[in-house]
Amino acid sequence: MMQEPQEMVEETVTIEEDPGTPTSHVSVVTSDDGTTRRTETKVTKMVKTVTTRTVRQVPLGPDGLPLPEGSSPLGSYTDSIDRRYLKNGERYITTPQATSTLTRSYNNYNDSYSDALPPDAGGSQYGGRHYGLHDGYGIGDATDNYGSLSRGVNFRPPRYPYAMANSYRPENSYGTLPIRKDDYGHVAQPQVPMGSSSVDLNRSQPERFQPEPYGLEDDRRSLGPEEEEPYDLEPDYSTASRRQGTLPGTNRGRTMREPLRDGPRIRGYEDPIEAELIDERHPYIHGMYPAPLAQPERGSMASLDRLAGRRSPSIDSIRKDPRWRDPDLQEVIAMLGHPIDPVKSNAAAYLQHLCYENDKIKKDVRQLKGIPVLASLLDHPKAEVHRKACGALRNISYGKDHDNKVAIKNCDGIPALVRLLRKTNDMEVRELITGTLWNLSSYEPLKMVIINHGLQTMTNEVIIPHSGWEHEPNEDSKPRDAEWTTVFKNTSGCLRNVSSDGAEARRRLRECEGLVDALLHALQSAVGKKDMDNKSVENCVCIMRNLSYHVHKEIPGAEKFTDPSVLQAPGSAGPQRKKKDDAGCFGGKKAKEEWFNQARKNGENDKNYDTLDLPKRTEPTKGFELLYQPEVVRLYLSLLTESQNYNTLEAAAGALQNLSAGQWTWSNYIRATVRKEKGLPILVELLRSDSDKVVRAVAIALRNLSIDRRNKDLIGSYAMRDLVSNLPSGQQRPAKNLEEDTVVAILNTIHEIVTDSSENARSLIQAQAIEKLVAINKTSQSPREDKAASHVLQTVWSYKDLRNALTKEGWNKSHFQPTATGAPKAAKNGKPGYDDTTLPLMEKNQGTKKNGSGDMIPMDELGPDGYSTIDQRDKDCKYKSSGDGSVDLTEREPLKNDTNRKHYVRSNRPAVKLVDACEVKPQPVDSWV
Amino acid sequence: MSFIPGQPVTAVVQRIEIRKLQHGEHLILGFSIGGGIDQDPGQNPFSEDKSDKGIYVTRVTPGGPAEVAGLMMGDKVMQVNGWDMTMVTHDQARKRLTKKDEDIVRLLVTRKSLEQAVRHSMM
Repeated sequence: MMQEPQEMVEETVTIEEDPGTPTSHVSVVTSDDGTTRRTETKVTKMVKTVTTRTVRQVPLGPDGLPLPEGSSPLGSYTDSIDRRYLKNGERYITTPQATSTLTRSYNNYNDSYSDALPPDAGGSQYGGRHYGLHDGYGIGDATDNYGSLSRGVNFRPPRYPYAMANSYRPENSYGTLPIRKDDYGHVAQPQVPMGSSSVDLNRSQPERFQPEPYGLEDDRRSLGPEEEEPYDLEPDYSTASRRQGTLPGTNRGRTMREPLRDGPRIRGYEDPIEAELIDERHPYIHGMYPAPLAQPERGSMASLDRLAGRRSPSIDSIRKDPRWRDPDLQEVIAMLGHPIDPVKSNAAAYLQHLCYENDKIKKDVRQLKGIPVLASLLDHPKAEVHRKACGALRNISYGKDHDNKVAIKNCDGIPALVRLLRKTNDMEVRELITGTLWNLSSYEPLKMVIINHGLQTMTNEVIIPHSGWEHEPNEDSKPRDAEWTTVFKNTSGCLRNVSSDGAEARRRLRECEGLVDALLHALQSAVGKKDMDNKSVENCVCIMRNLSYHVHKEIPGAEKFTDPSVLQAPGSAGPQRKKKDDAGCFGGKKAKEEWFNQARKNGENDKNYDTLDLPKRTEPTKGFELLYQPEVVRLYLSLLTESQNYNTLEAAAGALQNLSAGQWTWSNYIRATVRKEKGLPILVELLRSDSDKVVRAVAIALRNLSIDRRNKDLIGSYAMRDLVSNLPSGQQRPAKNLEEDTVVAILNTIHEIVTDSSENARSLIQAQAIEKLVAINKTSQSPREDKAASHVLQTVWSYKDLRNALTKEGWNKSHFQPTATGAPKAAKNGKPGYDDTTLPLMEKNQGTKKNGSGDMIPMDELGPDGYSTIDQRDKDCKYKSSGDGSVDLTEREPLKNDTNRKHYVRSNRPAVKLVDACEVKPQPVDSWV
Repeated sequence: MSFIPGQPVTAVVQRIEIRKLQHGEHLILGFSIGGGIDQDPGQNPFSEDKSDKGIYVTRVTPGGPAEVAGLMMGDKVMQVNGWDMTMVTHDQARKRLTKKDEDIVRLLVTRKSLEQAVRHSMM
């Protein structure tokens, strides 16, 4: 009951988001708006850059003029070009950087070169959606297989009209350009008219550029779609070309462009230049030359053929232009093994693009055994190659198809990713790696694998350095703040996922050197900077919450800290005083335990519960001990006060809930510390949250906190109204429409608070709760709510001194007894008011069984932990209240709020309600058989 | 499991035979079902698309007869003793499973992992 590492919940969430976020850079972009948008933004920037350059050039234009129409040699395209120029000119003329840019691009040539694909991809982005756009990918000239997708089809028609003699010529010129083709570079695609050299230059330069930006963010391409619109900038060639590529049917650049012929070809302008450059810089390219150059048509194909060992059928494909087709998937995968590195990297980049949001392609890649090849490229020494391979893997690893994830694992992709993470300093590659790991970590069976291979590396390489934590802080310097980088976000997301993999996973994470320290440091820094709403913080808190789960049972030596007396001494859980405690060493000895007992007695006698001496330590705490030091209370309370992020709030409340559960010394401290840090009002305030899960986590935390007697009194006095206001009244759900789990949690918290405290029971009555409780008991369709409400009512009725007041308000004994079965006994085990016929035995037993030990419903791994069980038992002993045991049990289930559970719960309601409306007997949504 | 209207549904199924357990005066199978054509399929946590009105195993009692027989949470029940379960109401399914005069129930169930396993083997 008390602790539920709501692992499941987290996981689910994470998964979704992970891909999204990380992906945004990459093609992964989720269909969701959020992600997409981000991407867009980035794209925009890039585009702008490009534009700038162009502008420059414009003025420089071959003609020396902004290319009025007539001037350009290109003839048909002129129009479009000119216009663009003009536009650009207007806007951008001022920008000075062009030169530098160019230079850079040249220098980067290599990079850009490889990157070139991405740009296309970018174009394809559009394509991303439509897929057809690949043209851009020079890669395959062959559009074929993908042809259907490729814009080729859509694309071409428009072109033709434009394709004038001029345009064709360029092709002839291919000889020069072919190189590109080989490379697949879209860049390479030489197209257009070579005629006007000056023009070409201009254009080419801009293009060159593009590659760069794109290259950096491969996936941006996915963003592509957006690119088109806003930018008039587009005019840039480079941009334009992309778009064209991308937007087949689309208008703008495209259409205009078309004259140039294909988007891809547009680049052609550059080609000449590039080609030369290439020669100089990439000697190896020459190797490829012979074949392709001679026969432009075969350019890329030549290599393909070689690789694939067969001639691709597509060559003679439908495409009007036999020279260009996209390679089919098999060919692309074959190219991953091409001896020439740029071919590999381009093929990988193309794969990444193809896989973007396309589950079918991902599956095909898997079935064509592409994943092991990609994984092997992770160890490739060339940055360009392993980067692209990593990008492709990231896209492949995203999505619901776990087989893809398994495939990556089966070819040892996880250790390969981790190796690369250790090796590379390239931020982008690190983002890709950690994004991939995050994606992989969403699949249960891979969690342990990731822990085994990557935990320490991720901690050392990412978490610690980015958290700002230092092993041995320099006393003089100010502590460093955490940096919320994408890499950190991805890595913490991955760890968040794996931290939910059960006791062993928790143990590994807790014992991972520096991890807890760094996470705490990061959170503290977040609190310090008041920057608590971001995803990284959410991830960190969730990890902390998960690691706090069952600390009192799982920490080595924890048994030394348990309170032996608690079991026999109900209600005594109040804080103890303790002089000194070498907590750090877990050195608890017999003497200490005795001391505890004594302290307890003192505590009981002496009503001053606020006296609490925290143990003094001789050496600083570190590692997992930090998880449960009373100091963390302030941190969580700060988060609860400041954060607007529901997940963070839930996790912080969950952490307090976990820490305040159980009967060991530290949970006593935690409970008292929450009070002393004025945390109770903060928690109570959150009972008004609009978020169901926050309310639930807070309610359960309050329940655990009220194990402390003093807390119980305070909560009874100050929280009762807020608790009660969350209860449904009769058929009417409160405005918030809380889920069954939440309602049950609140009822159980109320039960805990009124148990052993007639004062609190009185508060309950004053909060007008009886009416609601009776209504729930009578009319709720949820057996669990029913039962929980019934327990509360019974407890209230058990205070004889309150009966008078109750009777005055018109209640009588029958209202406080379980409905349906009527007999209190039945209530103990069972679910009053449930239609038993539908639930033969098992159903009835449910309560009892749970009591025993097993969970009826092994919804997730939490169940087995059975913490709740223990607790319940304790309670039973303690309070002896009749149905207690079962109450707790009930709670247990709710705790496991995995998604399934939620659905399940939800399903109960509507169905029932509908039935109710018709006055028909409620239909069991779920029947034991 | 996807299907095309008008076409026979194909699914990879597993046969599961459960011997009911005498529990007090009842015979129990040790699992619970959800779904049915009279239920809101959108609430079904186990179906892939939220329009499947089939009968799904929602919970399995640990150590119970169903678990022993290999039934798993999330399984979709296709048939019970030869009776179709893909187009029945929740109550019909329940009754079909809880016949007092039958102490063995033979189920045909399908689950995602089965399909995946088959797909793998064909790859």
